[in-house]
Amino acid sequence: MDAISFDVKEGEIFGLLGPNGAGKTTTIKVVTTLAKPTAGSVFVFGVDVTRFPERVRQMLGFVPQAISVDGDLTGYENLLIFAKLFFVDRDERKKRISEALEYFGLAERGDDLVKHYSGGMMRRLEIAQALVNRPKLLFLDEPSIGLDPYSRMQVIKQIKDLNRNFGTTIFVTTHDMMEADELCDRLAIMDRGKIAISGSPIELKKTVGGDVLTVSTTGALPDSIPKELGSVVSADQGTLKILTEDGEKAIPRVTDFLEERGVTVESVSLSRPTLDDVFMKYAKSGLQEGSFREARSARRSISRHGR
Amino acid sequence: MSYPRRLVGSALTIAEMEARKIRHDSTELWMRTVQPALWLLIFGEVFNNIRNLPIPGGFSYVQYIAPGVLAQSVLFVAIFYGITIVWERDVGLLTKLLSTPSPRLSLVVGKALAAGVRGIFQGVMIFALALIIGVNLRFDPLDVGGVFLVVVLFAMCFASLSMTLASFLKTRDRMMGIGQAITIPLFFGSNAIYPISLMPSWLQTVSAFNPLTYVVDAMRSMLLTGDYSGLPLDIAALLLSTAFFIASASVVLRRLIE
Repeated sequence: MDAISFDVKEGEIFGLLGPNGAGKTTTIKVVTTLAKPTAGSVFVFGVDVTRFPERVRQMLGFVPQAISVDGDLTGYENLLIFAKLFFVDRDERKKRISEALEYFGLAERGDDLVKHYSGGMMRRLEIAQALVNRPKLLFLDEPSIGLDPYSRMQVIKQIKDLNRNFGTTIFVTTHDMMEADELCDRLAIMDRGKIAISGSPIELKKTVGGDVLTVSTTGALPDSIPKELGSVVSADQGTLKILTEDGEKAIPRVTDFLEERGVTVESVSLSRPTLDDVFMKYAKSGLQEGSFREARSARRSISRHGR
Repeated sequence: MSYPRRLVGSALTIAEMEARKIRHDSTELWMRTVQPALWLLIFGEVFNNIRNLPIPGGFSYVQYIAPGVLAQSVLFVAIFYGITIVWERDVGLLTKLLSTPSPRLSLVVGKALAAGVRGIFQGVMIFALALIIGVNLRFDPLDVGGVFLVVVLFAMCFASLSMTLASFLKTRDRMMGIGQAITIPLFFGSNAIYPISLMPSWLQTVSAFNPLTYVVDAMRSMLLTGDYSGLPLDIAALLLSTAFFIASASVVLRRLIE
Protein backbone atom coordinates (compact mmCIF):
# COMPACT_ATOMS: atom_id res chain seq x y z
CA MET A 1 0.00 0.00 0.00
CA ASP A 2 1.18 3.51 -0.79
CA ALA A 3 1.02 6.53 1.43
CA ILE A 4 -2.63 7.47 1.85
CA SER A 5 -4.11 10.29 3.78
CA PHE A 6 -7.65 11.02 4.83
CA ASP A 7 -9.56 12.37 7.79
CA VAL A 8 -12.77 11.01 9.21
CA LYS A 9 -14.84 13.65 10.96
CA GLU A 10 -16.38 12.98 14.34
CA GLY A 11 -20.01 11.90 14.13
CA GLU A 12 -20.11 11.07 10.43
CA ILE A 13 -20.46 7.87 8.45
CA PHE A 14 -17.39 7.57 6.28
CA GLY A 15 -17.18 5.03 3.47
CA LEU A 16 -14.06 3.57 1.94
CA LEU A 17 -14.76 2.02 -1.44
CA GLY A 18 -12.52 0.21 -3.83
CA PRO A 19 -11.99 -3.02 -5.71
CA ASN A 20 -10.45 -6.02 -4.02
CA GLY A 21 -6.78 -5.72 -3.34
CA ALA A 22 -7.11 -1.94 -3.27
CA GLY A 23 -6.00 -1.94 0.36
CA LYS A 24 -9.23 -1.29 2.26
CA THR A 25 -8.86 -4.15 4.72
CA THR A 26 -5.18 -3.35 5.21
CA THR A 27 -6.13 0.24 6.01
CA ILE A 28 -8.57 -0.95 8.65
CA LYS A 29 -6.00 -3.34 10.07
CA VAL A 30 -3.48 -0.54 10.49
CA VAL A 31 -5.95 1.81 12.13
CA THR A 32 -7.26 -0.90 14.48
CA THR A 33 -3.61 -1.71 15.41
CA LEU A 34 -3.88 -5.27 14.06
CA ALA A 35 -1.08 -4.54 11.59
CA LYS A 36 1.84 -2.16 11.94
CA PRO A 37 2.33 0.56 9.33
CA THR A 38 5.72 0.29 7.62
CA ALA A 39 5.99 4.06 7.56
CA GLY A 40 3.94 7.13 8.43
CA SER A 41 1.62 7.66 11.31
CA VAL A 42 -2.03 7.15 12.15
CA PHE A 43 -3.89 8.99 14.88
CA VAL A 44 -7.22 8.00 16.35
CA PHE A 45 -8.76 10.94 18.22
CA GLY A 46 -5.25 12.24 18.63
CA VAL A 47 -3.72 8.99 19.91
CA ASP A 48 -0.85 7.41 17.96
CA VAL A 49 -1.73 3.81 16.97
CA THR A 50 1.84 2.55 17.04
CA ARG A 51 2.69 4.04 20.42
CA PHE A 52 -0.48 3.35 22.39
CA PRO A 53 -2.24 0.44 20.64
CA GLU A 54 -4.26 -0.60 23.71
CA ARG A 55 -5.53 2.94 24.29
CA VAL A 56 -6.54 3.16 20.65
CA ARG A 57 -8.33 -0.21 20.72
CA GLN A 58 -10.26 0.96 23.78
CA MET A 59 -11.91 3.62 21.61
CA LEU A 60 -12.66 1.38 18.66
CA GLY A 61 -15.22 -1.20 17.69
CA PHE A 62 -14.45 -3.58 14.86
CA VAL A 63 -16.80 -5.75 12.85
CA PRO A 64 -14.60 -7.80 10.53
CA GLN A 65 -15.61 -8.94 7.07
CA ALA A 66 -16.11 -12.58 8.00
CA ILE A 67 -18.82 -13.15 10.62
CA SER A 68 -16.88 -13.43 13.83
CA VAL A 69 -19.35 -14.14 16.59
CA ASP A 70 -18.77 -17.26 18.66
CA GLY A 71 -21.31 -19.87 17.60
CA ASP A 72 -20.78 -21.99 20.72
CA LEU A 73 -21.92 -19.21 23.05
CA THR A 74 -25.35 -17.61 23.38
CA GLY A 75 -26.04 -14.13 22.05
CA TYR A 76 -26.05 -12.77 25.58
CA GLU A 77 -22.73 -14.45 26.39
CA ASN A 78 -21.09 -13.10 23.25
CA LEU A 79 -21.99 -9.58 24.30
CA LEU A 80 -20.99 -10.23 27.91
CA ILE A 81 -17.53 -11.62 27.14
CA PHE A 82 -16.64 -8.81 24.77
CA ALA A 83 -18.03 -6.22 27.19
CA LYS A 84 -15.65 -7.61 29.80
CA LEU A 85 -12.73 -7.59 27.38
CA PHE A 86 -13.52 -3.91 26.71
CA PHE A 87 -13.62 -3.21 30.45
CA VAL A 88 -17.21 -1.97 30.39
CA ASP A 89 -18.23 -1.02 33.90
CA ARG A 90 -19.71 -3.94 35.84
CA ASP A 91 -22.81 -1.96 36.89
CA GLU A 92 -23.46 -0.77 33.34
CA ARG A 93 -22.86 -4.12 31.64
CA LYS A 94 -26.11 -5.95 32.27
CA LYS A 95 -28.29 -2.96 31.47
CA ARG A 96 -26.50 -2.16 28.23
CA ILE A 97 -26.54 -5.80 27.04
CA SER A 98 -30.28 -6.19 27.49
CA GLU A 99 -30.83 -2.79 25.87
CA ALA A 100 -28.66 -3.77 22.90
CA LEU A 101 -30.42 -7.11 22.43
CA GLU A 102 -33.77 -5.33 22.59
CA TYR A 103 -32.70 -2.59 20.19
CA PHE A 104 -31.43 -5.04 17.57
CA GLY A 105 -34.46 -7.32 17.83
CA LEU A 106 -32.53 -10.18 19.40
CA ALA A 107 -34.00 -10.13 22.90
CA GLU A 108 -36.08 -13.27 22.42
CA ARG A 109 -33.13 -15.24 21.06
CA GLY A 110 -30.59 -13.91 23.56
CA ASP A 111 -30.25 -17.21 25.38
CA ASP A 112 -29.96 -19.34 22.24
CA LEU A 113 -26.62 -20.53 20.95
CA VAL A 114 -25.47 -18.23 18.17
CA LYS A 115 -24.79 -21.13 15.79
CA HIS A 116 -28.55 -21.46 15.44
CA TYR A 117 -28.90 -17.80 14.33
CA SER A 118 -29.35 -16.70 10.70
CA GLY A 119 -26.55 -14.80 8.95
CA GLY A 120 -28.41 -11.52 9.35
CA MET A 121 -28.92 -12.09 13.06
CA MET A 122 -25.23 -12.84 13.54
CA ARG A 123 -24.35 -9.58 11.81
CA ARG A 124 -26.78 -7.65 13.96
CA LEU A 125 -25.35 -9.25 17.08
CA GLU A 126 -21.91 -8.05 16.03
CA ILE A 127 -23.16 -4.53 15.52
CA ALA A 128 -25.07 -4.73 18.82
CA GLN A 129 -21.70 -5.10 20.50
CA ALA A 130 -21.08 -1.46 19.64
CA LEU A 131 -24.08 -0.49 21.72
CA VAL A 132 -22.62 -2.29 24.73
CA ASN A 133 -19.02 -1.12 24.39
CA ARG A 134 -19.92 2.37 23.08
CA PRO A 135 -16.78 2.85 20.94
CA LYS A 136 -16.13 6.36 19.69
CA LEU A 137 -15.35 4.95 16.26
CA LEU A 138 -16.85 1.79 14.79
CA PHE A 139 -15.24 -0.05 11.87
CA LEU A 140 -17.41 -2.18 9.65
CA ASP A 141 -15.64 -4.18 6.95
CA GLU A 142 -18.18 -5.14 4.27
CA PRO A 143 -21.06 -5.30 6.76
CA SER A 144 -23.78 -6.49 4.39
CA ILE A 145 -21.85 -8.94 2.26
CA GLY A 146 -23.49 -12.35 1.88
CA LEU A 147 -26.80 -11.21 3.38
CA ASP A 148 -30.22 -11.45 1.74
CA PRO A 149 -31.84 -8.12 0.70
CA TYR A 150 -34.10 -7.96 3.75
CA SER A 151 -31.31 -8.59 6.27
CA ARG A 152 -29.15 -6.17 4.33
CA MET A 153 -31.77 -3.45 4.66
CA GLN A 154 -32.10 -4.06 8.39
CA VAL A 155 -28.34 -3.93 8.89
CA ILE A 156 -28.06 -0.66 6.97
CA LYS A 157 -30.92 0.86 8.94
CA GLN A 158 -29.34 -0.15 12.22
CA ILE A 159 -25.96 1.24 11.28
CA LYS A 160 -27.68 4.54 10.48
CA ASP A 161 -29.60 4.50 13.76
CA LEU A 162 -26.42 3.81 15.69
CA ASN A 163 -24.85 6.84 14.09
CA ARG A 164 -27.85 9.11 14.51
CA ASN A 165 -29.06 8.10 17.97
CA PHE A 166 -25.77 7.40 19.70
CA GLY A 167 -23.42 9.69 17.79
CA THR A 168 -21.06 6.83 16.95
CA THR A 169 -18.60 7.76 14.24
CA ILE A 170 -18.70 5.00 11.65
CA PHE A 171 -16.11 3.86 9.15
CA VAL A 172 -17.43 1.41 6.61
CA THR A 173 -15.94 -0.38 3.61
CA THR A 174 -18.15 -1.76 0.88
CA HIS A 175 -18.42 -2.79 -2.75
CA ASP A 176 -22.08 -1.98 -2.89
CA MET A 177 -22.49 1.50 -4.38
CA MET A 178 -26.21 1.73 -3.59
CA GLU A 179 -25.38 0.97 0.01
CA ALA A 180 -22.56 3.51 0.07
CA ASP A 181 -24.83 6.16 -1.41
CA GLU A 182 -27.55 5.45 1.12
CA LEU A 183 -25.27 5.17 4.13
CA CYS A 184 -22.31 7.50 3.86
CA ASP A 185 -21.98 11.19 4.59
CA ARG A 186 -18.61 11.19 2.91
CA LEU A 187 -16.60 8.62 1.07
CA ALA A 188 -13.26 7.91 -0.50
CA ILE A 189 -12.49 5.60 -3.38
CA MET A 190 -9.30 3.62 -3.16
CA ASP A 191 -7.50 2.05 -6.06
CA ARG A 192 -4.20 0.17 -6.04
CA GLY A 193 -3.22 1.36 -2.60
CA LYS A 194 -4.06 5.03 -3.21
CA ILE A 195 -7.01 7.30 -2.53
CA ALA A 196 -8.35 8.09 -6.00
CA ILE A 197 -10.95 10.65 -4.90
CA SER A 198 -12.97 11.62 -1.84
CA GLY A 199 -16.01 13.75 -1.04
CA SER A 200 -19.73 13.52 -0.35
CA PRO A 201 -21.77 11.22 -2.64
CA ILE A 202 -23.31 14.28 -4.34
CA GLU A 203 -19.94 15.90 -4.96
CA LEU A 204 -18.52 12.69 -6.36
CA LYS A 205 -21.46 12.16 -8.67
CA LYS A 206 -20.98 15.67 -10.03
CA THR A 207 -17.48 14.73 -11.15
CA VAL A 208 -18.86 12.26 -13.67
CA GLY A 209 -21.33 14.80 -15.12
CA GLY A 210 -24.80 16.03 -14.17
CA ASP A 211 -28.29 14.73 -14.85
CA VAL A 212 -29.29 13.94 -18.41
CA LEU A 213 -32.88 14.51 -19.65
CA THR A 214 -33.97 12.60 -22.74
CA VAL A 215 -37.06 14.30 -24.27
CA SER A 216 -39.11 12.69 -27.05
CA THR A 217 -41.09 15.24 -29.09
CA THR A 218 -43.09 15.78 -32.25
CA GLY A 219 -42.65 19.06 -34.09
CA ALA A 220 -39.74 21.25 -35.01
CA LEU A 221 -37.12 21.55 -32.31
CA PRO A 222 -35.88 25.00 -31.31
CA ASP A 223 -32.33 25.93 -32.25
CA SER A 224 -31.25 26.50 -28.69
CA ILE A 225 -32.55 26.46 -25.11
CA PRO A 226 -31.93 28.99 -22.34
CA LYS A 227 -28.75 28.44 -20.36
CA GLU A 228 -30.51 28.09 -17.00
CA LEU A 229 -32.34 24.99 -18.28
CA GLY A 230 -29.12 23.26 -19.20
CA SER A 231 -27.19 22.55 -22.37
CA VAL A 232 -28.20 20.45 -25.36
CA VAL A 233 -26.04 17.39 -25.79
CA SER A 234 -27.74 16.14 -28.93
CA ALA A 235 -30.87 16.86 -30.95
CA ASP A 236 -31.79 14.13 -33.37
CA GLN A 237 -35.09 13.08 -35.01
CA GLY A 238 -37.29 14.55 -32.31
CA THR A 239 -35.14 13.28 -29.46
CA LEU A 240 -33.46 15.94 -27.39
CA LYS A 241 -30.76 15.21 -24.84
CA ILE A 242 -30.15 17.90 -22.23
CA LEU A 243 -27.42 17.99 -19.60
CA THR A 244 -28.60 19.78 -16.49
CA GLU A 245 -27.73 20.39 -12.83
CA ASP A 246 -30.88 19.15 -11.16
CA GLY A 247 -32.87 16.90 -13.45
CA GLU A 248 -36.05 16.66 -11.42
CA LYS A 249 -36.54 20.44 -11.26
CA ALA A 250 -35.63 20.84 -14.93
CA ILE A 251 -38.35 18.45 -16.20
CA PRO A 252 -41.38 20.79 -15.85
CA ARG A 253 -39.40 23.82 -16.99
CA VAL A 254 -38.07 22.14 -20.12
CA THR A 255 -41.55 20.77 -20.88
CA ASP A 256 -43.12 24.25 -20.49
CA PHE A 257 -40.42 25.84 -22.64
CA LEU A 258 -40.95 23.37 -25.49
CA GLU A 259 -44.78 23.39 -25.37
CA GLU A 260 -44.76 27.22 -25.46
CA ARG A 261 -42.92 26.94 -28.78
CA GLY A 262 -45.47 24.52 -30.22
CA VAL A 263 -43.44 21.35 -29.62
CA THR A 264 -45.46 18.43 -28.23
CA VAL A 265 -43.59 16.57 -25.51
CA GLU A 266 -44.40 12.84 -25.59
CA SER A 267 -42.12 11.55 -22.86
CA VAL A 268 -39.27 12.67 -20.65
CA SER A 269 -36.79 10.35 -18.98
CA LEU A 270 -34.15 11.32 -16.48
CA SER A 271 -30.89 9.51 -15.92
CA ARG A 272 -28.64 10.52 -13.08
CA PRO A 273 -25.09 9.42 -12.52
CA THR A 274 -24.76 6.81 -9.79
CA LEU A 275 -21.85 5.99 -7.57
CA ASP A 276 -21.35 3.05 -9.92
CA ASP A 277 -20.35 5.56 -12.61
CA VAL A 278 -18.03 7.28 -10.14
CA PHE A 279 -16.55 3.96 -9.18
CA MET A 280 -15.98 2.87 -12.77
CA LYS A 281 -14.24 6.13 -13.46
CA TYR A 282 -11.84 6.06 -10.51
CA ALA A 283 -11.30 2.39 -9.68
CA LYS A 284 -10.55 0.26 -12.65
CA SER A 285 -8.72 -2.77 -11.27
CA GLY A 286 -11.20 -5.63 -11.66
CA LEU A 287 -14.08 -5.18 -9.23
CA GLN A 288 -16.26 -7.97 -10.57
CA GLU A 289 -14.12 -11.00 -10.00
CA GLY A 290 -13.12 -9.88 -6.55
CA SER A 291 -16.56 -9.14 -5.24
CA PHE A 292 -17.80 -12.60 -6.17
CA ARG A 293 -14.92 -14.23 -4.43
CA GLU A 294 -15.48 -12.20 -1.32
CA ALA A 295 -19.21 -12.85 -1.22
CA ARG A 296 -18.48 -16.54 -1.46
CA SER A 297 -16.07 -16.51 1.42
CA ALA A 298 -18.51 -14.55 3.58
CA ARG A 299 -21.22 -17.07 2.83
CA ARG A 300 -18.84 -19.85 3.75
CA SER A 301 -18.09 -18.20 7.03
CA ILE A 302 -21.78 -17.92 7.82
CA SER A 303 -22.36 -21.59 7.09
CA ARG A 304 -19.37 -22.51 9.20
CA HIS A 305 -20.90 -20.77 12.18
CA GLY A 306 -24.21 -22.48 11.63
CA ARG A 307 -22.60 -25.92 11.71
CA MET B 1 -7.39 0.49 35.37
CA SER B 2 -3.85 -0.70 36.07
CA TYR B 3 -2.08 -3.13 33.74
CA PRO B 4 -1.96 -6.09 36.16
CA ARG B 5 -5.68 -5.73 36.88
CA ARG B 6 -6.53 -5.61 33.19
CA LEU B 7 -4.25 -8.58 32.55
CA VAL B 8 -5.78 -10.77 35.25
CA GLY B 9 -9.35 -9.64 34.50
CA SER B 10 -9.05 -10.36 30.78
CA ALA B 11 -7.29 -13.69 31.28
CA LEU B 12 -10.11 -14.79 33.59
CA THR B 13 -12.66 -13.62 31.00
CA ILE B 14 -11.00 -15.70 28.27
CA ALA B 15 -11.02 -18.70 30.61
CA GLU B 16 -14.67 -17.96 31.44
CA MET B 17 -15.45 -17.97 27.72
CA GLU B 18 -14.07 -21.51 27.49
CA ALA B 19 -15.85 -22.63 30.62
CA ARG B 20 -19.17 -21.38 29.25
CA LYS B 21 -18.63 -23.30 26.02
CA ILE B 22 -17.91 -26.46 27.96
CA ARG B 23 -21.09 -25.90 29.97
CA HIS B 24 -23.15 -25.73 26.77
CA ASP B 25 -21.58 -28.87 25.35
CA SER B 26 -19.36 -31.04 27.51
CA THR B 27 -19.35 -34.05 25.17
CA GLU B 28 -15.74 -33.48 24.18
CA LEU B 29 -14.64 -33.36 27.80
CA TRP B 30 -16.20 -36.73 28.56
CA MET B 31 -14.90 -38.30 25.35
CA ARG B 32 -11.44 -37.31 26.40
CA THR B 33 -11.69 -39.44 29.54
CA VAL B 34 -12.20 -42.59 27.47
CA GLN B 35 -8.60 -42.91 26.40
CA PRO B 36 -6.99 -42.68 29.86
CA ALA B 37 -9.68 -45.01 31.19
CA LEU B 38 -8.69 -47.60 28.56
CA TRP B 39 -5.02 -47.22 29.49
CA LEU B 40 -5.82 -47.96 33.13
CA LEU B 41 -8.52 -50.59 32.64
CA ILE B 42 -7.08 -52.59 29.76
CA PHE B 43 -3.41 -51.83 29.28
CA GLY B 44 -2.82 -51.48 33.02
CA GLU B 45 -4.75 -54.59 34.00
CA VAL B 46 -3.09 -56.78 31.36
CA PHE B 47 0.43 -55.62 32.13
CA ASN B 48 -0.30 -55.98 35.82
CA ASN B 49 0.03 -59.72 35.23
CA ILE B 50 3.64 -59.44 34.14
CA ARG B 51 5.38 -60.09 37.42
CA ASN B 52 8.99 -59.40 36.54
CA LEU B 53 8.71 -55.73 35.49
CA PRO B 54 11.41 -53.89 37.46
CA ILE B 55 9.09 -51.34 39.07
CA PRO B 56 10.85 -49.42 41.84
CA GLY B 57 9.27 -49.39 45.29
CA GLY B 58 7.27 -52.60 44.87
CA PHE B 59 4.17 -50.94 43.44
CA SER B 60 1.76 -52.72 41.13
CA TYR B 61 1.87 -51.84 37.44
CA VAL B 62 -1.53 -50.07 37.49
CA GLN B 63 -0.33 -47.99 40.42
CA TYR B 64 2.84 -47.24 38.54
CA ILE B 65 1.19 -46.00 35.35
CA ALA B 66 -1.71 -44.06 36.94
CA PRO B 67 0.35 -40.81 37.24
CA GLY B 68 1.75 -41.45 33.75
CA VAL B 69 -1.70 -41.84 32.25
CA LEU B 70 -2.83 -38.64 33.97
CA ALA B 71 0.15 -36.73 32.59
CA GLN B 72 -0.43 -38.16 29.11
CA SER B 73 -4.11 -37.20 29.06
CA VAL B 74 -3.29 -33.65 30.17
CA LEU B 75 -0.66 -33.47 27.43
CA PHE B 76 -3.24 -34.50 24.81
CA VAL B 77 -5.73 -31.89 26.08
CA ALA B 78 -3.12 -29.12 26.06
CA ILE B 79 -1.58 -29.80 22.66
CA PHE B 80 -5.08 -29.40 21.21
CA TYR B 81 -5.07 -25.65 21.96
CA GLY B 82 -2.97 -24.79 18.93
CA ILE B 83 -5.67 -26.30 16.72
CA THR B 84 -8.37 -24.37 18.59
CA ILE B 85 -6.60 -21.07 18.09
CA VAL B 86 -6.13 -21.72 14.36
CA TRP B 87 -9.83 -22.56 14.15
CA GLU B 88 -10.68 -19.32 15.94
CA ARG B 89 -8.48 -17.47 13.46
CA ASP B 90 -10.32 -19.16 10.57
CA VAL B 91 -13.74 -18.04 11.82
CA GLY B 92 -12.51 -14.51 12.51
CA LEU B 93 -12.83 -14.76 16.28
CA LEU B 94 -9.12 -14.27 16.88
CA THR B 95 -9.11 -11.00 14.93
CA LYS B 96 -11.96 -9.82 17.10
CA LEU B 97 -10.22 -10.90 20.32
CA LEU B 98 -7.05 -9.12 19.24
CA SER B 99 -8.98 -5.94 18.44
CA THR B 100 -10.12 -5.59 22.06
CA PRO B 101 -8.09 -3.38 24.40
CA SER B 102 -7.18 -6.45 26.46
CA PRO B 103 -3.45 -7.15 26.59
CA ARG B 104 -2.28 -9.86 24.15
CA LEU B 105 -0.62 -11.65 27.02
CA SER B 106 -3.99 -12.09 28.72
CA LEU B 107 -5.36 -13.94 25.71
CA VAL B 108 -2.59 -16.53 25.93
CA VAL B 109 -2.75 -16.79 29.72
CA GLY B 110 -6.54 -17.16 29.54
CA LYS B 111 -6.39 -19.95 26.98
CA ALA B 112 -3.64 -21.66 28.96
CA LEU B 113 -5.72 -21.40 32.14
CA ALA B 114 -8.64 -22.97 30.30
CA ALA B 115 -6.36 -25.85 29.32
CA GLY B 116 -5.50 -26.14 33.02
CA VAL B 117 -9.18 -26.37 33.95
CA ARG B 118 -9.68 -29.15 31.42
CA GLY B 119 -6.61 -30.84 32.88
CA ILE B 120 -8.12 -30.72 36.36
CA PHE B 121 -11.24 -32.39 35.00
CA GLN B 122 -9.06 -35.17 33.58
CA GLY B 123 -7.38 -35.49 36.97
CA VAL B 124 -10.68 -35.76 38.84
CA MET B 125 -11.94 -38.41 36.43
CA ILE B 126 -8.75 -40.47 36.63
CA PHE B 127 -8.70 -40.27 40.44
CA ALA B 128 -12.35 -41.34 40.51
CA LEU B 129 -11.60 -44.27 38.24
CA ALA B 130 -8.59 -45.23 40.36
CA LEU B 131 -10.81 -45.28 43.45
CA ILE B 132 -13.44 -47.38 41.69
CA ILE B 133 -11.06 -50.04 40.38
CA GLY B 134 -9.12 -50.02 43.64
CA VAL B 135 -5.80 -48.54 42.55
CA ASN B 136 -4.10 -47.58 45.75
CA LEU B 137 -2.77 -44.00 45.57
CA ARG B 138 -1.85 -41.60 48.38
CA PHE B 139 -4.99 -39.49 48.48
CA ASP B 140 -3.56 -37.02 50.97
CA PRO B 141 -5.22 -33.60 50.40
CA LEU B 142 -1.88 -31.82 50.12
CA ASP B 143 -0.56 -34.35 47.65
CA VAL B 144 -3.72 -34.20 45.54
CA GLY B 145 -3.54 -30.39 45.63
CA GLY B 146 0.10 -30.58 44.58
CA VAL B 147 -0.77 -32.90 41.71
CA PHE B 148 -3.46 -30.48 40.52
CA LEU B 149 -0.94 -27.64 40.65
CA VAL B 150 1.43 -29.66 38.48
CA VAL B 151 -1.46 -30.55 36.14
CA VAL B 152 -2.39 -26.87 35.69
CA LEU B 153 1.21 -25.78 35.10
CA PHE B 154 1.84 -28.63 32.69
CA ALA B 155 -1.36 -27.92 30.73
CA MET B 156 -0.51 -24.19 30.58
CA CYS B 157 3.00 -24.99 29.41
CA PHE B 158 1.99 -27.23 26.53
CA ALA B 159 -1.07 -25.17 25.54
CA SER B 160 1.24 -22.16 25.11
CA LEU B 161 3.81 -24.27 23.27
CA SER B 162 1.03 -25.41 20.98
CA MET B 163 -0.16 -21.83 20.40
CA THR B 164 3.42 -20.78 19.65
CA LEU B 165 3.70 -23.55 17.05
CA ALA B 166 0.32 -22.62 15.60
CA SER B 167 1.56 -19.07 15.02
CA PHE B 168 4.21 -20.46 12.69
CA LEU B 169 2.36 -23.38 11.10
CA LYS B 170 -0.92 -21.48 10.63
CA THR B 171 -3.19 -24.30 9.39
CA ARG B 172 -5.27 -26.87 11.21
CA ASP B 173 -3.96 -29.79 9.14
CA ARG B 174 -0.37 -29.01 9.97
CA MET B 175 -1.27 -28.60 13.65
CA MET B 176 -2.97 -32.02 13.69
CA GLY B 177 0.18 -33.50 12.21
CA ILE B 178 2.56 -31.77 14.59
CA GLY B 179 0.31 -32.65 17.54
CA GLN B 180 0.75 -36.34 16.79
CA ALA B 181 4.42 -35.89 16.06
CA ILE B 182 4.97 -34.27 19.45
CA THR B 183 2.75 -36.20 21.81
CA ILE B 184 3.54 -39.78 20.81
CA PRO B 185 7.36 -39.52 21.05
CA LEU B 186 7.07 -37.54 24.29
CA PHE B 187 4.82 -40.22 25.74
CA PHE B 188 6.87 -43.26 24.72
CA GLY B 189 10.14 -41.49 25.38
CA SER B 190 9.22 -40.84 29.01
CA ASN B 191 8.83 -42.79 32.23
CA ALA B 192 5.02 -42.65 31.92
CA ILE B 193 4.34 -46.36 31.28
CA TYR B 194 7.68 -48.05 31.92
CA PRO B 195 10.73 -47.34 34.06
CA ILE B 196 13.61 -45.56 32.37
CA SER B 197 15.89 -48.43 33.39
CA LEU B 198 14.18 -50.62 30.76
CA MET B 199 15.06 -48.24 27.90
CA PRO B 200 18.05 -48.60 25.58
CA SER B 201 20.72 -46.16 26.66
CA TRP B 202 20.16 -43.63 23.82
CA LEU B 203 16.48 -43.38 24.78
CA GLN B 204 17.46 -42.93 28.43
CA THR B 205 19.44 -39.87 27.38
CA VAL B 206 16.50 -38.53 25.39
CA SER B 207 14.09 -39.04 28.26
CA ALA B 208 16.32 -37.01 30.56
CA PHE B 209 15.46 -34.01 28.36
CA ASN B 210 11.80 -34.90 28.09
CA PRO B 211 9.60 -32.54 30.15
CA LEU B 212 6.98 -35.27 30.51
CA THR B 213 9.52 -37.34 32.49
CA TYR B 214 9.76 -34.58 35.10
CA VAL B 215 6.01 -34.10 35.27
CA VAL B 216 5.41 -37.82 35.75
CA ASP B 217 8.21 -37.93 38.28
CA ALA B 218 6.63 -35.10 40.28
CA MET B 219 3.21 -36.73 40.19
CA ARG B 220 4.60 -40.13 41.13
CA SER B 221 6.45 -38.70 44.12
CA MET B 222 3.20 -37.21 45.42
CA LEU B 223 0.82 -40.05 44.52
CA LEU B 224 3.02 -43.08 45.20
CA THR B 225 6.36 -42.73 46.93
CA GLY B 226 5.99 -39.67 49.15
CA ASP B 227 9.63 -38.92 48.40
CA TYR B 228 9.69 -35.18 47.64
CA SER B 229 13.43 -34.80 47.11
CA GLY B 230 13.13 -34.33 43.33
CA LEU B 231 10.04 -32.12 43.55
CA PRO B 232 11.66 -28.65 43.76
CA LEU B 233 13.66 -29.28 40.59
CA ASP B 234 10.62 -30.70 38.77
CA ILE B 235 8.42 -27.73 39.63
CA ALA B 236 11.13 -25.15 38.97
CA ALA B 237 11.73 -26.63 35.51
CA LEU B 238 8.00 -26.65 34.83
CA LEU B 239 7.49 -23.04 36.02
CA LEU B 240 10.36 -21.83 33.90
CA SER B 241 9.20 -23.50 30.70
CA THR B 242 5.59 -22.39 31.28
CA ALA B 243 6.68 -18.78 31.64
CA PHE B 244 8.86 -19.09 28.56
CA PHE B 245 6.16 -20.55 26.32
CA ILE B 246 3.46 -18.12 27.53
CA ALA B 247 5.78 -15.24 26.71
CA SER B 248 6.73 -16.66 23.32
CA ALA B 249 3.10 -17.37 22.36
CA SER B 250 1.97 -13.84 23.24
CA VAL B 251 4.77 -12.34 21.17
CA VAL B 252 4.21 -14.43 18.03
CA LEU B 253 0.44 -14.86 18.18
CA ARG B 254 -0.21 -11.88 15.91
CA ARG B 255 1.51 -13.77 13.07
CA LEU B 256 -1.69 -15.80 12.80
CA ILE B 257 -3.73 -12.83 11.58
CA GLU B 258 -1.09 -11.26 9.37
